[in-house]
This record gives sequence, C-alpha cells and structure tokens, in this order.
Amino acid sequence: MSRIVISGNYAQSYAALLAKVQVISAYPITPQTSIVEKLADFVASGELPAQYVQVESEHSALQVCISAAALGARTYTATSSQGLLLMHELLHWASGMRAPIVMGVVNRAVAPPWSLGADHTDTMAQRDTGWIQFYAESNQEVLDTVLEAYRLAEDPAVRLPAMITEDAFYLSHTVEPVDVPASEVVDRFLPPRDARAVLHPGTVARLGSFTGPDHYVEFRREVARAMEHVPETFETVEAEYERATGRSHGGPMPTYRADDADAVLVTMGTATTTARGVVDELRSEGKKVGLAKLRLFRPFPTPAVRDLAATVDRLGVMDRSYTFGAAGAAATEVAAALYGASHRPTVSSFFSGIGGRDVTPSEVRRMFAALLAGEPSEIRWIDLEEQEAKADG
Amino acid sequence: MAKLTIPAEELMYPGHAACPGCAPALTMRLLLKALGPRTVVSIPACCWTVIATSYPTTALGVAVLDNPIEATGASVSGLRAAADALGLKDVNVVGFAGDGGTADIGLQALSGMLERRTNAIFVMYDNEGYMNTGVQRSGATPLGAWTTTTPVGGSSGGKPEPKKDIMGIVLAHHPIYAATLNPSFPEDFVRKAEKARSLAGPRFLHALTPCPPGWKYSSEETIRLGRLATDSGIFPLFEVENGIYRITRKGGALKPVDEYLRAQGRFRHLGDDDVRRIQEDVRFRWERLLRLEAESANLVNPGSLRFPGPWIGERAGITGTLEADG
Amino acid sequence: MEIRFHGRGGQGAVIASELLAQAAFLDGREPQSFPFFGVERRGAPVTAYARINDRPIQVRTSIERPDVVVVLDPGLLNTIPVTEGLKEGGLLLVNTRRAPEELPAPPSIRRATVDASRIALSHGLGTPAMPIVNTATLGALAGATGIVTLGAIREAIDLYVPSHPAENVRASEEGFRSVRVAESTAAPLAVSAGRSPALLVLPEGPIATTPSYGIHTAAWRSLTPVVHLERCTRCNFCWKFCPDNAIDFDAHGYPVIRLEYCKGCGICAEECPPRTIEMVAEG
Repeated sequence: MSRIVISGNYAQSYAALLAKVQVISAYPITPQTSIVEKLADFVASGELPAQYVQVESEHSALQVCISAAALGARTYTATSSQGLLLMHELLHWASGMRAPIVMGVVNRAVAPPWSLGADHTDTMAQRDTGWIQFYAESNQEVLDTVLEAYRLAEDPAVRLPAMITEDAFYLSHTVEPVDVPASEVVDRFLPPRDARAVLHPGTVARLGSFTGPDHYVEFRREVARAMEHVPETFETVEAEYERATGRSHGGPMPTYRADDADAVLVTMGTATTTARGVVDELRSEGKKVGLAKLRLFRPFPTPAVRDLAATVDRLGVMDRSYTFGAAGAAATEVAAALYGASHRPTVSSFFSGIGGRDVTPSEVRRMFAALLAGEPSEIRWIDLEEQEAKADG
Repeated sequence: MAKLTIPAEELMYPGHAACPGCAPALTMRLLLKALGPRTVVSIPACCWTVIATSYPTTALGVAVLDNPIEATGASVSGLRAAADALGLKDVNVVGFAGDGGTADIGLQALSGMLERRTNAIFVMYDNEGYMNTGVQRSGATPLGAWTTTTPVGGSSGGKPEPKKDIMGIVLAHHPIYAATLNPSFPEDFVRKAEKARSLAGPRFLHALTPCPPGWKYSSEETIRLGRLATDSGIFPLFEVENGIYRITRKGGALKPVDEYLRAQGRFRHLGDDDVRRIQEDVRFRWERLLRLEAESANLVNPGSLRFPGPWIGERAGITGTLEADG
Repeated sequence: MEIRFHGRGGQGAVIASELLAQAAFLDGREPQSFPFFGVERRGAPVTAYARINDRPIQVRTSIERPDVVVVLDPGLLNTIPVTEGLKEGGLLLVNTRRAPEELPAPPSIRRATVDASRIALSHGLGTPAMPIVNTATLGALAGATGIVTLGAIREAIDLYVPSHPAENVRASEEGFRSVRVAESTAAPLAVSAGRSPALLVLPEGPIATTPSYGIHTAAWRSLTPVVHLERCTRCNFCWKFCPDNAIDFDAHGYPVIRLEYCKGCGICAEECPPRTIEMVAEG
C-alpha cells in the first residue's frame, strides 16, 4: 500500500488500473479528461495491458464497453454531464444486457447555459436506467468504491453496471492523500471476471434478442431482482474490502450524530464534508442535529432511511440537482421510502450547490435552521436564498 | 450433380421470419457460408432484428449480439477489443446493418470504426429504405423512388434527392478492403466475402438487397432484379483493395436502366424524362468507375500507389487492430 | 360485440378491422379497432381486433373471447387455433371455396364461408398469389351478421380506401350477397394451446439459444413449388438462391424442397434454367 496525493480523477484511474480492466473506451469531456488521460498513460507505459479503444463519441464509448463485456471482458469508461446524457439509450442497453461495466462519472451541470460546475442533475436523470449508483465524498472513497463496484457488478447474483460519481472540481480536480492498496491485495479481493453468462464465439446464441409481451416483462423482472440483490451483496463486498484494506465507508447510508438528533440533513457527495463540520459546530452550540449521507442511490436504501426516520422528527434532504415541477429527486425518494413507515418525520426539499455554487457552512446552517424552526415543508432554492440574504447585507 | 460453386455449410437456419423472396435473408446466408462458424455478428435495429426470430429462438448458427441502430460501428470495435484482450483467436467480427443503420443514423459510428482501423467487417445490406418500419425513405433510397414518406401525387414525385454514395464515404477512410456484393451473383459475393475474411483491418461490404414489399414487385423477381441492377450499371460490382479499384463484372454494354426501373412499382410513376435523367446519372457514375479502375491500375506502376499503411498504431498493436498487409 | 380477424401479412386484415370500425361509426355506433402489434411480415400470420358497441368502449385489451372470428386465409385453419375462445353460438367466417358445412369447428359454433379470393380477383384486387380479400370479406361479415350495414361499408371504403375504391365497393357488395351460413355443427376441430406459456426460468440475460428450425413457416405460402425431376439437371441454382434455406439435396443430388419452411416466394422456379419447378396454388 502506498499513500499518495492525487485528484479524484486519478483515484478513478488508479482504481481501474488495480482492477486490471481489459477494455477501456472513452471520449474526452471536461472535467473527466484527466481520468482517461491517466489511463492512456498506464496503457502506453505497459503498466496496464488493456485495449484502449479511441472513439468518436460517448455513445460509442459505452457501446464499446457493452460489446466487450458481452464477450467477457472487464471494462471501464468515464464521462460527465452532456456525455452521460448522450449515453442515455445505451445505459438501458447495458443493464438489459447484464453487462457489469463500471463507469466513473464526474457530476457536472447540464447546458444551457454551458457550465462546468458540480451538479448531480446529469446522473439523477439516469436513475431509472438499471445502473447501480454510488455518490462519493472523498478521493479515497472514489478509489475504494470503484474497486468494490467491480466485485458487486460482476457478482452472479447482481451482474449489473455501476456508476461511481464524484463532484466536478470538488473531487475531480482536488488533490488529497489517498491510500492506494497494493496490487496483490486487490487481486485477492477482485479475481478475474468469470466466463459464465457471456457470448462465446463458435456457439449458437443471440444476446439481446427480440420478444413480444410474452417474455419481455420476465426479463425486466430479472433486472429488478438483480437490483434487489445489491444491498446484501454490497454488505458482503464491503466487509471483505475492509478485511483486505482496513477501510470501509459505512454501507449504503452512513449517518453522523443522528441517533438523538431533532433534525437530520440528508446529503450526497462533497457537500457532506462541509455539512459534517456544521453539525459539529451546531452540536457545540447545543443544537441536536445530525447527518446522513446517501452513498448508494440505486438501489435506494429504503431500510436504512426507515431506520433513520424511526428516531427523528424532521428530515431535510439536500439535492445538488433540481427537478422542474416536483421536489428534489433524493427528497422525493426519501419521502416515498417513509410513506409506509410507522414513524414518519416531515421531509423538506432543499436545492443547493446547483451548477457549482458552493454549499457553504452558512447554507448548511440555513437548512438546519429551517428544520429546527419547524418551518413547513416546501421546496427551497437555498443558493438563491443565500444570495438574497447576502444582498440584503 | 454439378459441383457446388459456393460453400455447402449452412449457418442461417430455416424457420426465420423474413418475407418471401427476401434478399437480406439470402445475403446473410451467403455471407455466413463465406465466414464460417467462428463469427460474431453485431446486428442493430433493422429487418434482421426480426428475421432472426424472437426469444428463445435464433435463426443464426453463430454468436449474435444485438445493438441499437446507431451503434454498430462501435459495437464491432468493442467485440474486437474484447477478443484481443481475451486472446480469442480466429474470430471474425462482423457488423451487419441496414442502409439506415449504416449510412444514416449509423454513419458516425461507422466512420469511427473505419478511422480507428478496427479489425472487423462491416456489411451494409441495402434495401434502399427503412423497410422494417414499413418502407420509409432513407439516405440510400434512390432518386425518384416512392416510399411512404416520399409519396407520389400532389407536389411530390417520389424521392427528390439522389442516393447517398456510401462507398465514396467509406473509401475516404482508406479501408484495407471495400467491395460491393450482389446476392444475384453468389460466386462473386462469396469470393469477396472470403477475401474480406482473409484480410485484417477495417473492411466494408455493400450488398444491394432487393425487397419485394418495399420495392413493390413480385417475390420471385428478387434475383432477376438484382442481376438487372448490376447489368444496367445501377449497382456495379467492384472491389477496392488498398486503394486499387477492380470491377468484378463487366458484361459488355450496359443494359438500359428502363427494364430495371419498370419492373418495380416504386418507380412506376416515372416519366420518360425521369428515366433519361437516371440513365445519364448511371452512365456518368459507371464511366467514372471505369476511370478510377484504369487510373488506379495504370497511373503508376501497379502496386506502387498504395496507401502507406499499416499505420503506426497497427504496427504497435495498440488499437486492437491486427496488422494490415501493406 | 367482439370480432377477431386472422389473416396473413399483405392480405389486409388490419385494414379490414379498421374499415369495420369506420363503417360501424358511420352507422352511429361506438367502434374500436386495433392490430396485435407483432411483427408484420408479408405472408406471416396477423391478428386484428374490433369491438362494436352502443356505448363508449371501456376496455383496451386484446380479445380472448370473441363473438365472431373472421379468417381471411383458409390456410390458417390448419396452423392457427382460430376458434380459440370463440363464444358458444359465435360465428366463424372463413374466406374459402368450401361450403360452410365443410368447415371444421367446435360444436355450437355457427359457420359461414365466402369465396373472397375469387371475388377479389374478379374485381382486379391483388394477385393470384396474394388476392386482397378484405373488402369482400367485410361485405360477407355484414351479410352474415348484420353488425354493420352494407351502406356504411360502401361509404367507409369511399372515404378511406385510396386504391381502387370502386372495385372494393363492388367486391364488398358481392361478398355481402354470396356469403353462405350454416347453423348446424360439425366435427370438432382440434384446438391446440394458444400463446406459449411464459417461461418460469430465464437465463440471467436475454440470450436466445434455440435454433429457429423448429419454427415452420409453411403457412406463409400461397403457391407451392413442385419439382419435375425428369427435366432437372441438378445444377443446384434453386438451392443457391433460396433465401429461406428450404432446399436440400437427395442422395442423387436432386433438389428436395423442405415444404415445412418454404414460403413460396417462387425464386427457385424463376431461376431454374430448364424450368423444372412449377409454382402451384394450394387448397
């Protein structure tokens, strides 16, 4: 193991190297590019004996991975924002084909207007495509989760693609110390992909196929069932990863000082770090607040959300994305998870950090203040409230 | 019994769901005879999605992968990359797409596959329209042809634009081999497909495949119409290997296009002027092809005017492309 | 009233169902018509549905228990369980030369026949291999059941059939006049199971591995190739050009047409240099 100072993007690249991916295909897009540049270096230097397929679009990048995975290769790609949106059709193909592709996504705002800032709207728009979705808070979590994701995605009970997302610039271009496990350690944790359930040249088989109403729903149900197997499989995978490396990131929804809290804020990605600091400050001021980090968004960790809700009366959910005409995506899902629960806290929906706007401690305090004051649940654009407050001076 | 002039092996099963008289079905049958069982075929949305029958059956005795309509070029690149990464030997990687999935919505991925010099064969079976969706116009629909979206009547007289020159587009990418195929000439067809199989690097085959319901003729005429297309110069049979053109069927004087056009309901509305215009266009293109053949053979010493491949990446084997013969 | 149409791609079953709906609407009733949206291929079996009621129709499903079944192609009687689900006392209407009494049908089913192919051809609709029989059959349906008026059919054809409307109107009138109905019952038809039961165990991905040669496509055929071996030179052109891979050789190298697969396209007959293959109309 070595401890090096690298960006979130390089954490993706190192993870793909350690996973010994066999086929890489990607198309450049800011702020993803350094991931695939680093991988190109690894391949050029001979460190990573992979096929690196240069393509003319993100759409083709994902198709290359789907077709390569169909023959049994371990594949990696990475993209962001518009590139992910262009992939949308193929995201469905990947899950329907049961292709265990792992993809790094740098969360970036969607145009227009053009923006490079951090924003989860790109991946939230893909939440119903049959991909496992992890949102990372740190570069270490990026690297570890990519490695865990390969085990999870290739597990015979799952066999689904997974995306590991990181916030543009807040992780993609932020350098910080990361423990990079030794290759032998990863090899033991992540053996080569097994050759079952793939297309073998020389055999009679058609992967994809065509169906009428008589079989289609059965295949869709299989994908749903695979999703249902993710939580327990992930628990095992993370336990094994911890045994191998000594690190765990706390399952699908780790919490912080939430046990006796009056109000808990649910966050995703890098905003969590700032929010954790604010929780400590508010606690020192005597306010009983806590935090929950939605690390796994698909499948949605309903049991964890219900466990949290059992002890808290007010939940706020911070979406770093927006939904036109409805509450935030994460807020909606949290509320839906609670509908059948015996104890149902109020759920407030906060849009914050949109398009790379900083989620400042002041913004986090604003959200907690609203929760603690028992203000009625409504959709709130925190960035704009904060702007107005500043303007009012 | 006369000696078989094409391989006996059948890798397209009967029971498939093609219309009676379907040339795309015959094209697949002939192609697989030439390529053999160690072939992986990537098929986008097209007639063959359906012809191959529905789950749990398959009409092809080889490994098949479905892909979306616009992505065949990328799919074959992925298959080749995986085959190379996994050490799978002697695998023919083939994309088999309709004219829309090749020359319209599939063009970007095809261009990418040719440019990155993927070691694979891309076959365009050209029934000159979106036939699987019920006969709509494509970029490959010829001038004047009726389709449901280029109706005849009122201000419209069939498709007002000429057919897209896909071979020209492909040849601008300098593939190692490109050829036109016509299932009405099975020996020429199989010879070219076998030649494509024997080469490494990007290869492109353009097959003209008459479609009885789309072209509006009676199913038994499929072979005769295909023959007429070539013998009138509408669809010349030629191949381009490493930049050298060779016309593989020259039967003396071209037949007038009239007979070919009049045999099809989709051209029934054309007047004599229209036919003359089409005839002029065909003659122009045929003579240009003759010149390309002559120039590429005689302009310099045969064999010396060649694309300077294999390219650097092909020599280093980085791109997953086998060495092209130079 | 629920009506199910069985035809083959190219015969106009879907149009027949739509025309029936249009005609019922012109009669002042509430219609609904829709095709089973499978993959329509020329010659392949096709199903379409129509409902006619006096009030707006409150169901959108395929029809499992029809009052009337209309079969546009007699060849389908041997290949498709056309009477499946047909109600007791319901009507089976078939385009065939045969008398209604000769139709195989379960007891308690009323039978009707009309020679719509002959009518269509006599009015110049379609070809002998593929007559366009929908309007003649629709006329027969009106004649046998009265669910729509002949006048409404005429008007619907005028409004919605762009090609040969006058001939189609005359075909429907002749179908209306010449339909024959038998009320008595006949020997029961062996009814096979309908759609394939859903598989309980699926592979983890959509991987099809069963060769298609278990599927027989003989029902797609209107004309059947007959080889006159005495003139055959064993040149194997028929084999070479068959798009259905439906031609084999016997031990002596003579062609054997696998009729379970042959779709009757006629290429073998057309391409045979000594013209030893003849395309013969069936049934």
